[in-house]
Amino acid sequence: METILFWLCGALMVLGGVMTVTQRSAVISAVWLIFAFVCAAGIFAILDAPFVAIMQVLVYVGAIMVLFLFVIMMLQGPVLDNEKRRLLKLPLWPAVAIPPVAVLVLVGGWIRRTGTRDFGGTVPEGFGQPAAVAELLLGRYLLAFELVSIVLLVAIVGALAIGKEARKLPWK
Amino acid sequence: MDLLLETLSKIGFMFALIMGMVVVLIWMERKGAAFIQDRTGPNRAAIGGVRLAGLVHPIADVFKLLFKEDVAPEDRHRGLYNLAPWIVMTIALSTYAVIPFGDHLTVAGKQIPLVVADLNVGLLYILAVAGLGTYGVVMGGWAANNKFGFLGAIRATSQMISYEISMGLALMGLVMVFGSLQLTEIVAGQGDLLFGFLPRWGVVVQPLGFVIFITAVYAETNRTPFDLPESDSEIVAGYHLEYSSMKFALFFMAEYAHMVIGAALIATFYFGGFQIPWLPRPVLEAHAGTLLTIKLVGVLVASLAIAALFMRRVRNERNKFGDARDREPVLGVAFWLVLAAGAAGGLLMGPWNIGPVGADLMATFFQVTAFTVKLVFFAWLFIWVRWTLPRFRYDQLMYLGWKVMIPLGLANLVVTALVMAFV
Repeated sequence: METILFWLCGALMVLGGVMTVTQRSAVISAVWLIFAFVCAAGIFAILDAPFVAIMQVLVYVGAIMVLFLFVIMMLQGPVLDNEKRRLLKLPLWPAVAIPPVAVLVLVGGWIRRTGTRDFGGTVPEGFGQPAAVAELLLGRYLLAFELVSIVLLVAIVGALAIGKEARKLPWK
Repeated sequence: MDLLLETLSKIGFMFALIMGMVVVLIWMERKGAAFIQDRTGPNRAAIGGVRLAGLVHPIADVFKLLFKEDVAPEDRHRGLYNLAPWIVMTIALSTYAVIPFGDHLTVAGKQIPLVVADLNVGLLYILAVAGLGTYGVVMGGWAANNKFGFLGAIRATSQMISYEISMGLALMGLVMVFGSLQLTEIVAGQGDLLFGFLPRWGVVVQPLGFVIFITAVYAETNRTPFDLPESDSEIVAGYHLEYSSMKFALFFMAEYAHMVIGAALIATFYFGGFQIPWLPRPVLEAHAGTLLTIKLVGVLVASLAIAALFMRRVRNERNKFGDARDREPVLGVAFWLVLAAGAAGGLLMGPWNIGPVGADLMATFFQVTAFTVKLVFFAWLFIWVRWTLPRFRYDQLMYLGWKVMIPLGLANLVVTALVMAFV
């Protein structure tokens, strides 16, 4: 049952990814990307990581992609004029092709060297539950966690400083 | 196989409850609006002269919408235009998976928890699914290629993003108090008593959180005073402007399904879910026979009284209209007499001695009833607010969301943390 679901989610996710990059309309691309994200959440849920699965939906699908769609939709109406489908320029092909091929080669090499196809094995009790994630985030990785928060805060202030007219900034 | 059957029957129960509530809510909305505006409300639709105080109207609506021509704009994006109503409806229905509607039911010696999926990230699941609900609205407004629809979609997006944060903040206070993201545990935690007499409901331990949460829920369900995405006086009907026939009906039903979710969430998080105050499950099971007897006597007396009222109408209004409508009170008398007879029959069978299986069944029945009563009350609250308050202006909406609700939510979190650390 889990294997079927895993391959189903995987296949649908790949379909979503392919459709994302082959669409002419940016909005439809974004919708397929959302579809791919939901499928990825399904895979996380199958892999004993319910917290990551829900966070994938909550953050990526529920917040980030909503903002993306918001912006793209403002710029483009639903019906496209006769815009032709074009291929990417030849010099750019390697840039697109190298990362996925590199991942495939690395995974293939790992399988050959270790001679195993067992990537996970059994997980400890409570793995992937909110409590376990919280213990890692607020214990072992506390410093990294807090530093990332500060980076995000700085980014927000920076966006505000760039986006707002200079004379309206609160510190002017 | 057992698990599949169990889950399917629980899903079936929830689906029936929601769809039944949607029909009742549409009726309640019309009658409630009429009551608040001092009108009679819908009373024209009838089957053979029987109008059931307007309850026939939803049936008439269904037939009208099913057989209406499906008019769609020519310049739409076909795929998304057709997909949007389904997304709205599917998302609206999938939230219920984690809401517990009773403690447990013992069937053939096996305890079945009365919740479809008892996720230990249930609360986050609700937040995630609520966030997905925006997409149907946004896609519908955009794909129809109508300026007003598009404005509705844009408003829905910004409103949803603004109020989701304060909703999450309010719920985090609750999570800190009850120490779990699992909905069954949050509800179980609300079964205790505080200081020995006060039910430990969410609203008692998190009053400010409750106010923030209920405001955010109203904003998320797009109900007045937050119905800017479809405000009829400014942008006609907003995102579902270009939809007709059953596609419109799906949007319409989804709005009411969202109201039922909202009511269920308020009841579950802040009013003890299925818990009856001062009557925890063991007490309910121990005294199930007595409670059942009291209930049957109550039903008997009430239905006899109502039947007597209808009897008076039969006598006094025999020739009021001079047509089929005069027969209506007779049906009322018949219905309430049948109910009274049922209660009397139940009393004759000796309900004070129902045995352990019957006690378990009755305890579950009382809890599910308590949940449904809370659900209906908070659904009525939605209607009450809609016909009482005017709509916010857009800048007021944003001001409230970002400058009032979020700081209050943060303050609530800090105060909760301090109280929990030092008291």
